[in-house]
Amino acid sequence: MFTEGFVEADGFRIRYLEAGQGSPLVHLHGAGGFRLSRAHELLSRQFRVIAFEMPGFGQSPENTVTRDMAELALTMARAAGDLGLGEFNLWGTSFGGKTALWLAVQQPEQVRALVLAAPAAIRPEGSQLAAGSPKEMARRLYAHPERMPALPQVDPAIQTKTRALVLRLRGPDRDRDLERRLSELAIPALVLFGTLDAVIPPEMGRIYKGLIPNCHLVFVYDAGHAIDAERPEAFTEVVADFLERHEAFIISRTPTVIHP
Amino acid sequence: MQVSYFETARYHDPAARPAYWPVPPGDYDPDAGAQAYNGMIERLRFVEELGFDWVSVSEHHYSPRILTPAPAISAAYIAASVPRIKIAYLGPIVPQSNPVRVAEELAMVDTLAQGRLVVGMLRGTTNEYLTFDLNPQEARDRTDEGMELILKAWTEPQPFGWQGRYYQFRTVSVWPRPLQQPHPPTYALGTSRESCEFAARHHIGLGVSFAPYEVVGKSTRYYREECARYGWQPTPEQMVYRANILLTETDEAAEKALKQPTQPPFPMRAGLRDALLKADARNVAGEPRPANVGGVLPTTFFGSPDRVVEQVKRCREEVGVGVIDLMFRNPDSDDPDALMETLELFGKKVLPRIRDV
Repeated sequence: MFTEGFVEADGFRIRYLEAGQGSPLVHLHGAGGFRLSRAHELLSRQFRVIAFEMPGFGQSPENTVTRDMAELALTMARAAGDLGLGEFNLWGTSFGGKTALWLAVQQPEQVRALVLAAPAAIRPEGSQLAAGSPKEMARRLYAHPERMPALPQVDPAIQTKTRALVLRLRGPDRDRDLERRLSELAIPALVLFGTLDAVIPPEMGRIYKGLIPNCHLVFVYDAGHAIDAERPEAFTEVVADFLERHEAFIISRTPTVIHP
Repeated sequence: MQVSYFETARYHDPAARPAYWPVPPGDYDPDAGAQAYNGMIERLRFVEELGFDWVSVSEHHYSPRILTPAPAISAAYIAASVPRIKIAYLGPIVPQSNPVRVAEELAMVDTLAQGRLVVGMLRGTTNEYLTFDLNPQEARDRTDEGMELILKAWTEPQPFGWQGRYYQFRTVSVWPRPLQQPHPPTYALGTSRESCEFAARHHIGLGVSFAPYEVVGKSTRYYREECARYGWQPTPEQMVYRANILLTETDEAAEKALKQPTQPPFPMRAGLRDALLKADARNVAGEPRPANVGGVLPTTFFGSPDRVVEQVKRCREEVGVGVIDLMFRNPDSDDPDALMETLELFGKKVLPRIRDV
């Protein structure tokens, strides 16, 4: 069961949901805002999952203070520090994937391992921010919207507020400053893309793999942009294994004995 | 129209053929097997000389009927022995294969064959699922996922992991890559809605087989509609039709031969056949249609050269395909020498007249 908490950082009162025990796993959400998936629940069976709502998203007051993604990342690093997490695993989804990367390059001592789910840090030129009705958004986010529960209607005021924030913070499609710093990132990183991602082309994955020295790329078959919501078991299995064993996760431990 | 010769490594053994699939291996005659493979190369050099565009091979198990359980080996052997003809591997039975292995083998064969490989990927006939204990109810989904993984393994430049439903690999990094870039001409083989949609989404060809024009025409039409939905238009060469042919000097000879009872290629006992039919749901462009389990396959092209030329023209008009892949039947026997005569007849009297169809 996830319980709600708040933490102060950089003058923001930041909401989070927490569940589970063990090694801490911090999650930073996508541009659409904070939403728990079944993968959060599955991961909380092995990890202490702390899912933040970043300042300016959801019910939090409008954020006109944070100037760029690097600054947002430092705020989130301080929030994690104030929770006494020490070194933690960091999972960023889409927009939050870029935040996570900025956090890792600026505060590497805080991050044990990095999971980037359909990260939006590297985008094809001229990428538009996904927007629309819940039905339209479902078609963008999911490979099979018909198999998923309907997305909730978002308060138009919240939509307007977060859209302005995302457009201000998302940065260029190719952020040269960030990409230059990725070559020095020593933290093990796992990049996941759904094979049917309609928001960020899965082919972007190979660029991360090329830039980050200790990076692993995994395609989640038949998933769209919201991998953790669409294929939670597949997502959780590989993420948990990677967080436990880092690069050794490519050594199979799956038993194949049929009849002992 | 381009023409492909379907090479089955014809196994000719005068002993009585056992009634049911799987055929007991104890009935196998090693000398007849060796002769089957020798005959294969002799025949293919001949069809190359006659001007056929492709030779095709396919995966079948546990029977003398089509003696190529490992077609990658056939394809490599043909590549080394026959210098110019395109080699169409139609295809690996994807749901019971390791897709990464298939990607590696085909990339290797394409390179060994100096870029002459054509690839078809398929779900396979129902009886084949018994070979490696494949659950027929999972065959469709395993095929879709496996095909996607094969294409990814050929084209992704970085090592990657695959978190599938039926396949999981932590690291895939295929060497060699195919000589033909990004990959050899590739077809999804099947009449189903799923095959058509997969082919359209991935901008690859479609292969249909062994059903009348009205049936396969539904699939090629649906495929073209799906391609349009994905914003492209396939060429006729991106549609291939595999069919039986019974070519004779006169129409009467073929008609007479067609009246003779034919043994199905993979006869099954009734109980097993019915159980398989229940377990393996098939469709044509979305319309349910029972699988062919243990049945006789229709002969699409039959008669004299004149009549076959007309049938090929109709095929082009009604089905729209630009390649026909022909399985040659003989009127009276499975004697390989008789087959050479039929091939010669086709090469001289049919092939030159269907080039411009």
